[in-house]
Amino acid sequence: MSQQYPALLVIVPLLSAFAISIAGWVNKRLCFPIIVTALSVVVYASIGLLLTVLEKGVVIYHLGGWPPPVGIAYYVDHLNGLVLVVVASVALLNVIAAKKSIEQEFPDKAGPFYTLYILMVTGLLGIVVTGDAFNLYVLLEIAALTGYGLLAMGEERAPLSSLNYLYMGTIGACFYLLGVGYLYIVTGSLNMVDIARLLPPLYQSRAVLAAFIICMVGVWLKMAFFPLHSWLPNAYTHATSAASSLIAPLVTKVMVYVMIRLILTIFTPEFAFATLALNNIVVWLAVIAIVMGAILALAERNLKKMLTFIVVAEIGYMVGGAWLGNRAGMTGAILHIVNDALMTLCVFLVVGNIVYKVKGYAFENLQGLFRKMPFTMGAFVVGAMSIIGVPPTCGFFSKWYLIVGALQAGHYGFMAALIFSSLVSVVLFFRIFEICYYEPFSDHHGHDQPPEPMDEAPLTMVVPLLIVAVILILVGLYTGDIVNHIIKFAIPEGLV
Amino acid sequence: MKIIGLIITIITGAFLVYAAADFPAWADPNSPASTYLSPYFIENSMKDTSVPNFVTSLLADYRGFDTMFETTVIFTAGLVCFILLRISGGKEPETSHYRHVLTGVTVTLKKGHKIPESEDFERIDDLWTPPDLIIKTGCRLMIPFIQLFGLYVIAHGHSSPGGGFQGGVILGASIILLAISHDLRTALEKMREKVVAILCPIGVSIYAGTGALCLLLGVNFLDYSALASVLHVDPIAARSHGIFMVEIGVGIAVMTTMIWIYNNISSAGKYNQGL
Repeated sequence: MSQQYPALLVIVPLLSAFAISIAGWVNKRLCFPIIVTALSVVVYASIGLLLTVLEKGVVIYHLGGWPPPVGIAYYVDHLNGLVLVVVASVALLNVIAAKKSIEQEFPDKAGPFYTLYILMVTGLLGIVVTGDAFNLYVLLEIAALTGYGLLAMGEERAPLSSLNYLYMGTIGACFYLLGVGYLYIVTGSLNMVDIARLLPPLYQSRAVLAAFIICMVGVWLKMAFFPLHSWLPNAYTHATSAASSLIAPLVTKVMVYVMIRLILTIFTPEFAFATLALNNIVVWLAVIAIVMGAILALAERNLKKMLTFIVVAEIGYMVGGAWLGNRAGMTGAILHIVNDALMTLCVFLVVGNIVYKVKGYAFENLQGLFRKMPFTMGAFVVGAMSIIGVPPTCGFFSKWYLIVGALQAGHYGFMAALIFSSLVSVVLFFRIFEICYYEPFSDHHGHDQPPEPMDEAPLTMVVPLLIVAVILILVGLYTGDIVNHIIKFAIPEGLV
Repeated sequence: MKIIGLIITIITGAFLVYAAADFPAWADPNSPASTYLSPYFIENSMKDTSVPNFVTSLLADYRGFDTMFETTVIFTAGLVCFILLRISGGKEPETSHYRHVLTGVTVTLKKGHKIPESEDFERIDDLWTPPDLIIKTGCRLMIPFIQLFGLYVIAHGHSSPGGGFQGGVILGASIILLAISHDLRTALEKMREKVVAILCPIGVSIYAGTGALCLLLGVNFLDYSALASVLHVDPIAARSHGIFMVEIGVGIAVMTTMIWIYNNISSAGKYNQGL
């Protein structure tokens, strides 16, 4: 069975999506057990696949039995093996944590919601596992379409924000498709490895240059790279907590993976970094993204929206790191995909718990939360420390690699932006700690109201959150192993 | 703002045109796109899959995995329409209208009142137009033939243009035609909401299930040749039959999605009265 892992990763959630959809009409109570079982199988298969890759090297799976380039092939190496495990585990932890809030918010539409949820996970897994440039687009469509649906099922303004995202996302996907079309015209192939084999004689062709740039711009649009980020904050803020805590950690990170895959596998670093010499411009764009993301986050008086701007800044980290054009920067970018997915999940789950209990996420809703929800806030502190970059949480280590990469590349602007954004994060999070810990202030007359009793979110919401918080520290402690055994092999030898 | 948009559009367009100068010449038979893989598909489709229409074999076999997800995209579109538009347990409308069939007298009832069950009265929409005998009868005559043609298109995808997508759209259109020419209520009596909502995932699962069956029979996902042992034919013919099975699944999924989207949009999710 182990040689079927790549197919199982996508087929199990896909088939269970249809089962959940039918169960939603027959017996609603079946939906949740089905989705948890399916996602557990996916986590198991993804870990099995990563172990196989570590042991035997690249796994190639021919769908329909047709060898590439005639048919579609799945291509799993250390890079996407790692990302697959992250996507699968985040999806599983989040669905368990989100059960209560889904039932609270959509009592009669839980079935369709779970269906969209697992279809989105299918799409993301499919994007990561595939070795075919067009197949990637098809899965991108599924992930995007389900994302629009999930994000639109929120507050009153959610449909409008989601519509905005739909316009931008569609343009991004079209750009990617156009780029693949250009590549197909000049090479005749859609398989990534095959395109990489056919491209070197064509590096001087203007069509290849255009294909690269269009693909990049499309992917940047999808990942909300500044200044193409305008759709993200509203879409994520107005969505329900169950949807935003799935989409915020995963979608942008998967798109960063696609960008790295484009650079490393399809176009090869020699073309992307040496032939084009666009590095400097893109890294400066990343610097602007980081600085603007941090400043815009500072201007928010609303926890969830503030976090969405931090997501925008984090995108800048990863794009900048990948485009530094050296090994340390690329390592930092790949490591940050893992870390950022986990820490974004952590803080968005915290927002989910707060919304579940307090029914709001503006700063004034947060008063006294340390006393009221100690476990949730404990996890929030770990998540915040990780975003700031305090050792031993994992956020520190990816930032370390990024800074080393910036130093090696001699790009001090990027280094300054990283440090600036860390300092701004300190301000952002300690401001929230202050509100949660000290406010409401007493009135100095000794008539203090008795402290609010503890009112923690349900156990099914707190336990996954605490697991994520522990993982944040564990990943930090085992960073060395992750880098030396996995990421080292994900980056081609040529990149130093 | 408009000016900036215009400038960006012009620059992007100019860039794409500039890049297109390095394309192979228009309709060049020696271009990579037509020499690299296309000859393989054209020459081997019949040999590999015994399907004379190589568009079908390419779509449903060589790259059948993409097509499965395209079908899933269609299912997702229907589901998103449902989830965003459908208002379940909608309130009873303020007034409802009934028409006495023999005399043509319209009775308007306020909320809470009911009309005794009888054959003489029929429920009509708020924006009711007199029934046009020619349109109603004409559509009633056409619909069976449209559906028959839809089935023909699905079944003949192997040797002529057609297949599950096109046939499914034709089948779906026949039910929508019924809803337009009569009213949404009549169409819903023929295809109830629950039936549509359950058939749609079943259609896509037929596709994915065929693939999973191959996987259970010990080969890769969607490798139809494994079906040979189940169908008692040779592996090449099994591929042809496998393609037919997934085309049926696609047909069901596309048909029901069309109806699902129409029902939700035309009644604004209330399912009480359509266009």
